[in-house]
Amino acid sequence: MRPVRDLAFVGFLLALLGFGFRRPFLFVLAYVYVDIVSPQRLTYLLLNSVPISLIIVGLAMLSYFLVDDKRDSRVAPRQMLMLMLLAYCAVTTSQADFPVEAAFKWDWVWKALLFAIFLPLTLRTRLRIEALALFMILSAGSIIIVGGIKTIASGGGYGALNLMIDNNSGLYESSTIATVAIAIIPLILFFTRHGTIFKPDWKVKLFAYALCFSCLLIPVGTEARTGLICIGILAVLMLRYTKRRVLYIALMAVGGLAAIPLLPQSFTARMDTIGNYKADSSASTRVAVWKWTWEYVKDHPFGGGFDAFRQNKLTIEKVETDKTASGTDVKQTLEYDKARAYHSAYFEMLGEQGFPGLVLWLLIHGIGIFRMELLQRRYAKKTAEHQAWIGPLASALQQGHIIYMFGSLFVGIALQPFVYMLVGMQIGLDTYARRREHEAAWRPLVKRIRGAEHAPAENAGAV
Amino acid sequence: MIDNFSLGLCHGLMLLAAWLLLFRTDLDHEPPPPHDEDPQPRFGQRHAPAETMKDAPRA
Repeated sequence: MRPVRDLAFVGFLLALLGFGFRRPFLFVLAYVYVDIVSPQRLTYLLLNSVPISLIIVGLAMLSYFLVDDKRDSRVAPRQMLMLMLLAYCAVTTSQADFPVEAAFKWDWVWKALLFAIFLPLTLRTRLRIEALALFMILSAGSIIIVGGIKTIASGGGYGALNLMIDNNSGLYESSTIATVAIAIIPLILFFTRHGTIFKPDWKVKLFAYALCFSCLLIPVGTEARTGLICIGILAVLMLRYTKRRVLYIALMAVGGLAAIPLLPQSFTARMDTIGNYKADSSASTRVAVWKWTWEYVKDHPFGGGFDAFRQNKLTIEKVETDKTASGTDVKQTLEYDKARAYHSAYFEMLGEQGFPGLVLWLLIHGIGIFRMELLQRRYAKKTAEHQAWIGPLASALQQGHIIYMFGSLFVGIALQPFVYMLVGMQIGLDTYARRREHEAAWRPLVKRIRGAEHAPAENAGAV
Repeated sequence: MIDNFSLGLCHGLMLLAAWLLLFRTDLDHEPPPPHDEDPQPRFGQRHAPAETMKDAPRA
């Protein structure tokens, strides 16, 4: 079976690249696919020995700069911020506390940032923005559907859900996929109303709702507590767009209560530790790492470069409270650990890139959420076919972004490539909408003069 | 089995989407948008009075 699957992957990629020679934007989509799914890691022959990611990104950039129409490309301030972050990370990497490990992380970070800076330049048309969103969803979907079905079949388990690849990288890492799966739900729902590649008929809706259900199962299957927090944030965010809010809250409460008996016991046991985090060594370790990071940046305000956490030595205070017949029994234990990862994107940026890096990072994401708010308000009442999709897409991207910002409080995914593709799409949508607005407002001078000449006569006639 | 089902379904849909994109001319070029009779004001810009917009001659 393996060789057949490997050949199918090769055939798929060759077809996609073949299409790219006719429509160069498909190279961009091919790169998005390769970066998310990593087919080279799913195969055992051919693809794993070729640097496909590098080849495809080369084709995408080359075709854009040589062939594509660049008149409608716009550069947004956030691309500049990402460029600054990229340059800043290059400097901290050159002076990193752990040069070898830092170089390893830099190797994928620069690609993710550079692609996110490049991506909006190519997003010149509505169809391109839609195609990008579709490819991102379907690429992530190939992992999410596996996780969803396996959760139903086996119940999953922390670190036990097999997502096709053993190593914890990219979207195949359980907490990362739990956050991303919930963050893309609003984007999936967007396709049930505004898609043009696949018109939103019953088949599209069935697939979209099934995929959303699968997304909701990922936090259950992976038992990633972050995922449950993300689901809560999503429920709150969706409240804004619900007309019958009381009914919505009631349905959510009933649905939530009905789902509890169906959840695996190991999942509910693990979720209980959210409230009682002091008794959980994984959660207590996080708090200890964050304290260490804060102390570290006081001495190193410019950060220690990628993987600076490797030098931490932690004393973890674990407090367990047991209710006994005679009262509450409090047991305090001290544990020692070292070289523990940040488990938070905020502290990851702070420890590795210092205050300037954290500020840049917060600006990139904060401005994104703010711009999407402006965009959805601006287009809220637009009903014309060419405008009606902009507000809902801005809202979906904003919701996804907010979920990411909450999810990343507890997961070290500050520079996760998938998220930067979403950022790239936001910038593309923003510059597209602004440009089209200008085009719609603009009328040639000749027409305006001619119009002014006719106007008095028409008005006189009317009187 | 589950892996292959999921991969097959999503890859099939991506391939179909890519195929459909080949025939869409609006992938690379869009016709200019129709004139917006009621453009949204930008930051610090006042909304144009309704009468002026209504009376303005159509292009």
